[in-house]
Order: sequence, then structure tokens, then C-alpha cells
Amino acid sequence: MRDERVEAKREAKTLDEPAAEARELAERLGLEPYPVRYWVVDHDEMNELIAYGGFQRRYPHWRWGMNYERQAKVDRHGLGKAFEIVNNDDPSHAFLQESNSTADQKAVITHVEAHADFFANNRWFGLYADRGEGGPNAAARLERNADRIAAIADRPDVDRDEVERLIDAVSALEDAIDQHSPVDAARSVETPGVAEDVSDADADPLAAIEAQIDELDLSEEVRRDVFDDEWLEARGDGVEPEEPRPDVLAFLRDHGKRYDPESGKAVDREPWETTVVDAVREEAYYFAGQKSTKVMNEGWATYWESVMMGGEGFAGPDEFLTYADHMARVLGSPGLNPYKLGFELWTHVELRAARRDVIDRLLRVEGVTPENFHSWIDLDAVAEALEPHPAIAGAGPATLDELADLAADGDPRVDAETVDRALSARTDEGAIDLDAGPDVERYPWKLLTREGLAERHYVLSRPEHRGALRNVSRETLAERARYMFDVDRYATVEEALAEVDRTAGWDRMLEVRESHNDVTFVDAFLTDEFVREGNYFTYEYSRTAEEHRVASVDADDVRRKLLLTFTNFGKPTVVVLDGNFRNRGELLLGHRYNGVALDEESAKETLKRVFELWGRPVNLATIRVEYSEKAVRRAKRRGREPEGEEVGVRFQYDGGEVTEHDLDPAIRERIEADEVDYDTKPDDWLA
Amino acid sequence: MGLTDDRERFREVGEKRREDLSEFISQGDLGRSDPDRVKIPVKIVDLPSFEYDRREAGGVGQGRGGQPQPGQPVDPEPGDGEGDPGEEGGEHEYYEMDPEEFARELDEELGLDLEPKGKRVIEEVEGDFTDTARAGPRGTLDVDEFFKRGLKRHLATDFDETYVREGLFVAGADVDDAFAWARGHGVPVSRAWIADAAATLAEEHGEPVTALDRWESFDALDAERDPEPVSRRIRREGLDSVPFRREDERFRHPEVIEKRERNVVVVNVRDASGSMRETKRELVERVFTPMDWYLTGKYDAAEFRYVVHDAEAWEVDREEFFGIQSGGGTRISSAYELVAEILEEYPYSEWNRYVFAAGDSENAGSDTTESVIPLMESIDANLHAYVETQPGGAAPNARHADEVEKALGDADDVAVARVAEPADVTDAIYEILSTEAEGGDAASEETATAGRGGDDR
Repeated sequence: MRDERVEAKREAKTLDEPAAEARELAERLGLEPYPVRYWVVDHDEMNELIAYGGFQRRYPHWRWGMNYERQAKVDRHGLGKAFEIVNNDDPSHAFLQESNSTADQKAVITHVEAHADFFANNRWFGLYADRGEGGPNAAARLERNADRIAAIADRPDVDRDEVERLIDAVSALEDAIDQHSPVDAARSVETPGVAEDVSDADADPLAAIEAQIDELDLSEEVRRDVFDDEWLEARGDGVEPEEPRPDVLAFLRDHGKRYDPESGKAVDREPWETTVVDAVREEAYYFAGQKSTKVMNEGWATYWESVMMGGEGFAGPDEFLTYADHMARVLGSPGLNPYKLGFELWTHVELRAARRDVIDRLLRVEGVTPENFHSWIDLDAVAEALEPHPAIAGAGPATLDELADLAADGDPRVDAETVDRALSARTDEGAIDLDAGPDVERYPWKLLTREGLAERHYVLSRPEHRGALRNVSRETLAERARYMFDVDRYATVEEALAEVDRTAGWDRMLEVRESHNDVTFVDAFLTDEFVREGNYFTYEYSRTAEEHRVASVDADDVRRKLLLTFTNFGKPTVVVLDGNFRNRGELLLGHRYNGVALDEESAKETLKRVFELWGRPVNLATIRVEYSEKAVRRAKRRGREPEGEEVGVRFQYDGGEVTEHDLDPAIRERIEADEVDYDTKPDDWLA
Repeated sequence: MGLTDDRERFREVGEKRREDLSEFISQGDLGRSDPDRVKIPVKIVDLPSFEYDRREAGGVGQGRGGQPQPGQPVDPEPGDGEGDPGEEGGEHEYYEMDPEEFARELDEELGLDLEPKGKRVIEEVEGDFTDTARAGPRGTLDVDEFFKRGLKRHLATDFDETYVREGLFVAGADVDDAFAWARGHGVPVSRAWIADAAATLAEEHGEPVTALDRWESFDALDAERDPEPVSRRIRREGLDSVPFRREDERFRHPEVIEKRERNVVVVNVRDASGSMRETKRELVERVFTPMDWYLTGKYDAAEFRYVVHDAEAWEVDREEFFGIQSGGGTRISSAYELVAEILEEYPYSEWNRYVFAAGDSENAGSDTTESVIPLMESIDANLHAYVETQPGGAAPNARHADEVEKALGDADDVAVARVAEPADVTDAIYEILSTEAEGGDAASEETATAGRGGDDR
């Protein structure tokens, strides 16, 4: 975009080589990224891109302005420099900050390559982004929406404020979509004003009736008087979902109206309004993919960045210090950090897979049982044996001859062709003539295949994981052994270790990155060991102590709490229960109560936005926890937590004030989940 | 479309959603602002969404250096579990206004209309070339003016010669008769001209003019003829010549404008004695801070001085001003003595001066009547204000405000306001700032013009 800028262009030029090399390395490591286009932008352009969610053009809306101001402030105060932003598209576009040091740029490029791999291969991304034949086409879609909405806002008959209000309303509900059937998401309205699933008259009786009424060509007044909403709704049962519908936005798009303050009635939306609703909803689905894989995706990028930068010396020795500093800053950010959590979980996935591979082989050694595993096997010797081959570990100009010997034996770990080329380019002094051969001094990984690289970076031979085999519990071993056949395959430990698959960890990671999202990722891989080693804990608010306290360090508790943070983007699930509530065309939303109450202030505000999209009174059924003063006092006296009472409540909004009503027990039953419990407070935690 | 547009929209939306100004002044967080930027929290500017109650939801944290024990208090970090590192979580957005905007908004909100006076001459600048002088470079000659003056002179001496000559044709009229007649009709003709004309006519006709009798009498002539107006003749015959004279020359030169800066010095005085506890101090801050912003916004240049006192007075920096609490007794006059001293640096002829004092109305003995009131009278200022901060209403022995009000309450330049709780703050501000607005003298010109050099204007 800004390639006319000399400065940026010069910078970009110096990155051509690192970018090409990083791509080659990434592919050698087994990644399959989308092509990436790199752009170098100054900090102002970077702030702008961040404000617009990584894209250059979005529909006109004040929120981008706000994001920008916020980002500019962060930038100005040095609170957090954005090194890069990359968008999920094919090809991906990565924007690098001009002021990054060379080391930073290289690190960022390796990071970006891993993101691009994740974009291209994660199933959830594919579902949300509608990765069809033409690829996600994200930039093009967002641009198209930008143009459409801008054109609408410019129309003389359309009030721009109204357009923004509508966008506000839809955006407030952007998480109220059905993230489990994302395919539906892509089905958007092609003809503005006509939702696909209602334009088919047979499929929707209400739409059919409306179409007929339209043919009568009646004036608006007559039409309102004779065929009012109630009349229509009495005949059109399509408005009432039989099953609760999680895609609130789609329901509102298809059945919502607009409240007309002049007539005091709900009127049909203008076609442009439906266009806007639909466009913003479509974008919500696009970004949902990103939101639901944040931990995985950031962890993935950080993991491969560390392999490429740290492990493969992609940073020159002079650059490595800045790189290490960068890494420390990203991982050392306070709080629960998706980069760090993701990075650690990925490492954990790798470690477990690699360890399992080794254990499975050792358990098959004659005479080894889960019981005698720790005493029979000399684990120090095992660790020793698992160290990478010296020529592989130290691959480079100095080990060329050794590597050539290995290659001659057909060793799969060595890239025989590169070794050969490097040898031919070797001068008498032992240096490599760079014009003739590959730069194996700077890029020693070119000498190795993925298998070779896997051995070089083998997780069990990293110093911090050397104890992993020793720490494996007898129960785990017993569990592995239980279903094992072919138990006495190896005569000796050495024989077993010779067959260890060094790529087991990476292979497992590639599988996981394809099929998981944050929720399943955390659910599957957050083990006791992980929680213990990472010092993770849950905290809860104590009403008695009037502050937050550490509640539990139990892995199950931590996992449950994390799942609460990631399920449905960490937002409560709200579904459509009834589109003709009380037979008055009112909308009834239900908050699926999982033991965690809503923030009522924001819920009421959001309900007002729902009204903008429904045009008639809207209701929200939820359950709140009430603590009586007496219970609180008594609990304080006893040093315990007060018992709350779960009370059903229905909020209603009809354009005036949000009112509160008792909740019909039948509705309460529909929104209450009884199995889930996210409370991790122990009974005696205040003792 | 584009960023500029979106930022502009954000400003507009933020303007709409920012905290109401009076609410902000009486309840809001004033400490976020600095003298150049007033920051007003923007109400829920982020779009709402269905969210969990944070307390009910709890969260996950990561211990540094070991597994923490259940029951140990923690501080959940904002933005836990969401956002990029460095991203600010849950922080308020602020609508920022500069003091000028703040002053405008407060004017609107409270219905104030304080018009600052220009005082100190800061520079003399050349204005438009609207002033003229009799001497100057040729290039600045005001040709229009020169021509007009010449033309005027021409018109003043021009007359209908044919008409005047007719007078000589009246039977029996001599030069003197014709001259008297012409002058009687306001024709600017000299007797010498008529005498010349008569001599010429006598020559032409071969007889003295008295013998010419085309007209029976002057009356008969008047009945037939009127002098032709100059303008018509010029239009008919054209302007043959305009008599340019040196004295008609005018040379343009620029007008000299004295710019007077609207400058103000505000002395904030606060009682820091033992009885001024936290709540009282906060009330003072709530009244003084917005007034400082307001005056900063209203004036081109504003200087602030801060005086605290107990039985003695001393000057402090702004940062310290609202926080200090000392132990001693109270003698308010000590502060005014210091104020008088400080204000010597700011002559009243060159500065607008405001003296704002605040306290809980407690004062030593008869200090108020004997010392403070005379001092207040002797210190020239646009406004003297006293703000009594007495949560829960006035204490019986705290009489300072009452006494000041009794003695000076009628004066245009004295305001007394009482603040018992934050809700009173805006009223107090109104009371104080509107006092000057109403009572200030009417001369509120921003600039004064002084002519130089020109005469005859």
C-alpha cells in the first residue's frame, strides 16, 4: 500500500531475504503457511491498522476512531509497541513496524509465518472464514462491506447517525452468534433487504403472507390497521423458533423490524438496514475464528518463533540479545497471557507426545514393567542416548564432512543435496563460497531435513525438560501399559531408543493445530502437571472478605475456570427463546445460566440495542444470585461465604425504561443448566 | 471515509456520551486532567455486550515464584484472559477538551457570560492601511482621496457661466447688480469675473452692459432661467480639468493597533489549619479546579498563585495546594497580606485579578472585621470570592463568610459561596463567576484603537 514511500521501501528491501529464508525454514519444519505479503509501515499507519482490526479499509464507524486514539495513546506512552499485525487471508498480509530493529523484524517474520500456517490449516478458521475455493478473501469482503455501508451512509435519504446506530446495535451482539454452526454464518444476504431463508416463500409462511399483502398494494395506514403485526404473527408460525436459536443476530436480521417513533409501531426495515445488519454480522463471524483460537494461534506463533529464532539462530549473534528482550517482554506481560499460556500448552503437547513415544518403547523392552520402570531403566543413560547426534546438533560448515558421511549412508536427517552443494562450494580454506553454494554458516538448517531439525530441537533433550521422563508417574505408566501388546519387542533399552521418533512431538502439534480451538485445546491439554508446573490458580471474589482470593490450585478447577473464559468467547450464551412472546410479537432472549450471573448493567444496555433491531418490546430471561443482608452478616460472623439464592428475573425494554419482572418458572427451566459449575471456592478457604 | 472521518465521529460520539459537566465537576475524577487538557470520562463508550458479572465469574491467574495458597488475597489484573499484552483493559475512555472548550461548555451549562477584559498592552501592530497623513512616500499616495479633494475643490469653484452672463443682459443692470444677483442665488462667482465678462460683452456689443436689455428685470430672468447644476454640466461637457493641489495630497499609512492581552492572575487561597479535614479540602478542590480551568480557557494568559495559611500564610505549588494540612490556628488576614504582596507583581492596570479564598469560615477573634475586610477592600481585583466549605452546614462560631457577606455583600466585586456537599459545587461556581460577570464594568473591549498622525478625519 505504501510502497511509494522511500523509507518503507528500503526497509522492506532488507527484509526480502529474511522473509524468503523464514519461509523456507518454516516449510522445512513442516509448516504450510499461506503466502505472506510483507509491508513495512510507520507507527501511525500501524496504529491505524490495529484500529481497523488488521485491515486497511473497514466500514465507516466511530469505533475505529476510538480504537485508534486508544492505540495511539498506548503507543505514545510506550505501554505496548505493536511489532506486527497480520491478517487471516490468502495471501496473508503482514504489516511490520518500521521502527523495529532488524532482530525484531526477523522475529516478527518467523512469528507471522507461523500465524499464516495456522490460518491456512486450522479447521475453525476455515469454518468461520468460509475458506472456499477462492480462499477466505477477507480483505476483499471487508472492503466490499466498507463500500456498501459507506455508500448507504452517503445516500441523501439515509441519516448517517441512523446507520451508525444500527452498526452499534449489531456490534453489541457480535458474540451472540452461533459459533458451532459457522457454516450458516457465511450464508449472508446477497440481495439487500431479502434474507435468503425468508425469500423462499414456501419456507416461511409469514414471508409468503407478507408478499401477498404487498401485492394488494395497500397504503401503509390500511395495511397497518388491517394486517397488523399480531394478525401476521397469528398466521406466521415461522417467527417462533421451536428450538432456542443461538444465532441471535440471524434471527434479528430475518425477523427484526424497526421501531418508528412517529407511528409508535414497528415497521419493516428499509432494505439498506438489512444490508447493514447482515454485513456487520458477517464480519462478526469472520472475526469469531480469530477470537476462538487466540490462545492456540498466539501460542503457535510464539512456539515456532522461538524454534526459528532461538533454536535455529535466525537472529545473528548481535541480534539475539534484542530478540531475547523482545521475547521476555511478550511472554512477561502480566496477567493471564494468551501468548504465554498458548506457548506453554503447545510445549506441553509436544512434550507429552514425545514422552509417550519414548515410554511406549521403553515399556516394550523385555523385562520392563510400570512397576520397575524407574529402577530398571537408567534414566540418565536414556537422557544421554536421546541427545542429538553431534553432527546434527552442530550442523554447519564445520560438520560438513560428517554430514556428508551420514548422507552417504542415506541418513534421512540430512539434506544430502544441500550438503553436496555446500561441499562443492567449499574453498581450500574451508569456507563456503556464497556465490556458488548455500550459506550454511548463517542458515545451517539448510543442511538438515525435518527429521534432522526435529532431532536438533528434540524436546526431551532440552535442558528444562530433562526431568520429564523421571517425573512420569507409575499410574501413567500403568495406563500406557494396560493396552499395550507386543510388549517384549526390544531386547535392550538401546534398541528401543534407536527407534524413538523424534518428530512425534511436532507431528502431534500439527494434528492438534488442525482440529482444535481454544476451548477444546484447554480442555484436552491442561493437565495436572501443567497447572502445577505453571503455578496456575483460580481466584474468586469473597463477599465476606470483600476482595478476590486465590480459590483453588486444582487442575480441574483451573481448567473449568479457563473454559469459562474461552467458551463462547468468554461471554455468556444468550439465545432466542421466543419470537412471539406473550403472543404480542415480543422477543424473548434467554441467558443460558451456568451458575455465573450476568453483569446486569451491560445486559440492560445491550437489551436496548436489541430493541433497535427488533422494533418491538424485548425481554431477557436470566438468573441472578441474591444475597440477603442477613446471610451476608451471618457469613461474616462465621468467616464463611454467604449462601446466595438464585432468583429468576426477566428484564423488559420497550423503548422507555428497562423494567424488571418475575420469571415464569417454565422459562427458568429452559435457561437453567444444572450440571455446569464454575464455582471453584473451597468450603474452608477463608479459614 | 477513512480514519480522519472515523476519529471525527468518535469525537462527536464521545462528546455526546461524556459525563455531564456539572456531574463531572461535583462528582467526577478531576485528578486525571492537567491544566491544558480537561479529561472527562466518557460514559460506556465501548459498546455494551452480554457479559458475566466479574465477581461471579472469578478467573485464572498465574503465580510468580510458586503455587499460591487458597485463601490468599489476589489482585485480579484488569484484562485478565483477554487482549494482547500491553492492551489496556477496562480503562475508562476520556473525552478531552481544552480549557477554551471547557469554558464555552461551562458558560452554556451554567448560563455564564463572563467577558474578559483586555488589559496589558502586549504589542503594537500595523493594521490595515486605513490611516492617512499629509506626507509620505509617493507610492502610498491615496489617489482616490487626492482626486476627490481636487474634484471637490473644482466643484466648489465651478458655476454656470452662461447663466451668470445672462444677468448682465438685464436692463439697466451693471456689474455690481449682476454680482449681487448671482451671489443671491448662491453662485460661487467673483466680482472680478463678472467685471471681466461685462467688459468682454461691452466690447462685443459695442455698448455698456447697462444698455443690454434682453431681460426686463432680474425677476423676468429668474422666471425663465435656472442655473444648470454642476453635475449635469459635467456630465454633458465632461470634466475638463481638476485642479490638483499639493494640499490635497494624502498618503496612506497603516493604522496602529494596540493589542491588549486578556491576562489574568488568579490567587487561590486556602485555609490549611487543623480543622480543614479531607472532605473540606476536597470541596475546595472541586470549586477551585474548574474555576481555574474556566479562567484559563477564558483568558489569553492566566497565571495562578497558591497561598495556604493557618495563622501564618505561605505560598505553595499547585501540586501541594489541595493536599496540605497544617496544625496551627487560623488567621485569614495573614493570607490577604501575602496576597497583597504577591499582587504587587501584577499591577491592576495591566492585569485582571481574581482572589479566591476558601476555608471553613473559622477565623481568629475579630480578625475578619478588623483586618480581612479592610484588606479585601484595599486589594484591587475584578473579584474577591470566599468559599465556605462546611460539610453539614455552618458551625456557629465560624463567622467569616457571614461577616464578609455582611460588610461587602453588596459590592459588585465580592462573592461569598457556601458549599456543604459536592452537589453544591456548581451553584457555588455559578455564584462566584456570575458575580463578576454582572458586576464587572461595561468596558469590555478586547482591543483599543489609537490613531496617530492623521488630521482632518
